[in-house]
Amino acid sequence: MSKTKKRLFAQAMEQHKGIVFKVVNSYCPNIYDRQDLAQEILTTMWITFDNYDNTSKFSTWMYRIALNVAISYYRKDSKRADKTSLPDEQIVQIPDLSDVHQSEDITLLYQFITQLDELNKAIILLYLENESHETIANTLGISTSNVSTRLSRIKELLKKQFNKRES
Amino acid sequence: MNLDNLKNHWQHHHSACGSEFAINEAILWQVKINKQMTHLNQMKWARIFESCVFLLIIFLLGQYIADNLSVSASFISASILIIFAIVGFAGNIGQIVLISKVDYANPVSQLQKDMFRVCSHKLQLTKLLLMSAPFYFAYVFIGFDVLLGVDLFKHLTLKMICFYSFFSVFLFFVMAVLLTKLDYKNISVVWVKNIINFVLGPRLVSLAQFVNKIDSNER
Repeated sequence: MSKTKKRLFAQAMEQHKGIVFKVVNSYCPNIYDRQDLAQEILTTMWITFDNYDNTSKFSTWMYRIALNVAISYYRKDSKRADKTSLPDEQIVQIPDLSDVHQSEDITLLYQFITQLDELNKAIILLYLENESHETIANTLGISTSNVSTRLSRIKELLKKQFNKRES
Repeated sequence: MNLDNLKNHWQHHHSACGSEFAINEAILWQVKINKQMTHLNQMKWARIFESCVFLLIIFLLGQYIADNLSVSASFISASILIIFAIVGFAGNIGQIVLISKVDYANPVSQLQKDMFRVCSHKLQLTKLLLMSAPFYFAYVFIGFDVLLGVDLFKHLTLKMICFYSFFSVFLFFVMAVLLTKLDYKNISVVWVKNIINFVLGPRLVSLAQFVNKIDSNER
């Protein structure tokens, strides 16, 4: 890959690496898995970056890859090689969720997201990024009506959870 | 709770978490393949190997047919088995093409379906084997002829031929029902789930459930 592409990738990642953090923390309850998943997402993006054709926003492309890798990874069983030994040289160093300064709302939001199923997690993540229903539908490969139905249910659940805390 | 405020918080949280997220670019630039792609490559090589095996079977059966060009039990048996071998070979080529087309930038539902098709290859092979079950006597006839040089059909009485034919027809219907049901779309049926779990493992059951859930919501 040329130096220009490396530079472009680095710039784009610098701007959007928060996406990786959010997806990893929403899909992976285990800290060792998170590191591994973040690495897998990042390397998949790097390897397939040549195919990125600017037809969609970089963040949308990134979300597609991150979600696809996370959903596939999430399903891996416990047979995965020992989780305690990570390679010495890591490509990515992801902070622990508790180390990142965040409001109580964000903490509660993460708790809420982790309770959802794989598809609903993806929907709420994209919704929170202010993506339109069409973009969410295209990213997930489902109909807009399905997105709307699911989203209204998720919002209802979210409201209940937040209202419970407030009361 | 105000959803717009929550969205704003979330988007600001984006830059906060990104700033503490370190990427070792020097190592990243050297990466040519990762775990998932290694796994896909291994599957591709396995399918290439299987294709070679199917090709060898097709060649051997073809040779056998050429040597027995007359309407006999051995000729018909070999003709039936060569059809299954060709189907198996074509399926494997399809798998190789599918693996090459796996693209993580595809919509989630499409990639997950592709992954299920790629990973459920063992189930397809099992189905092919089950499909050939009603023709089980084709294996027996060829086995006797090749290994012992005996044309078994000539030694069967009419009663036995009737019994085996009836059993084959019975098997045909059982397999037809079994094979139409054995699909991820029926993953909610307990025995289908159990068979998929037995042949492919729990990971693929979960993938089948995910894909099926998306499909059923779209119907």
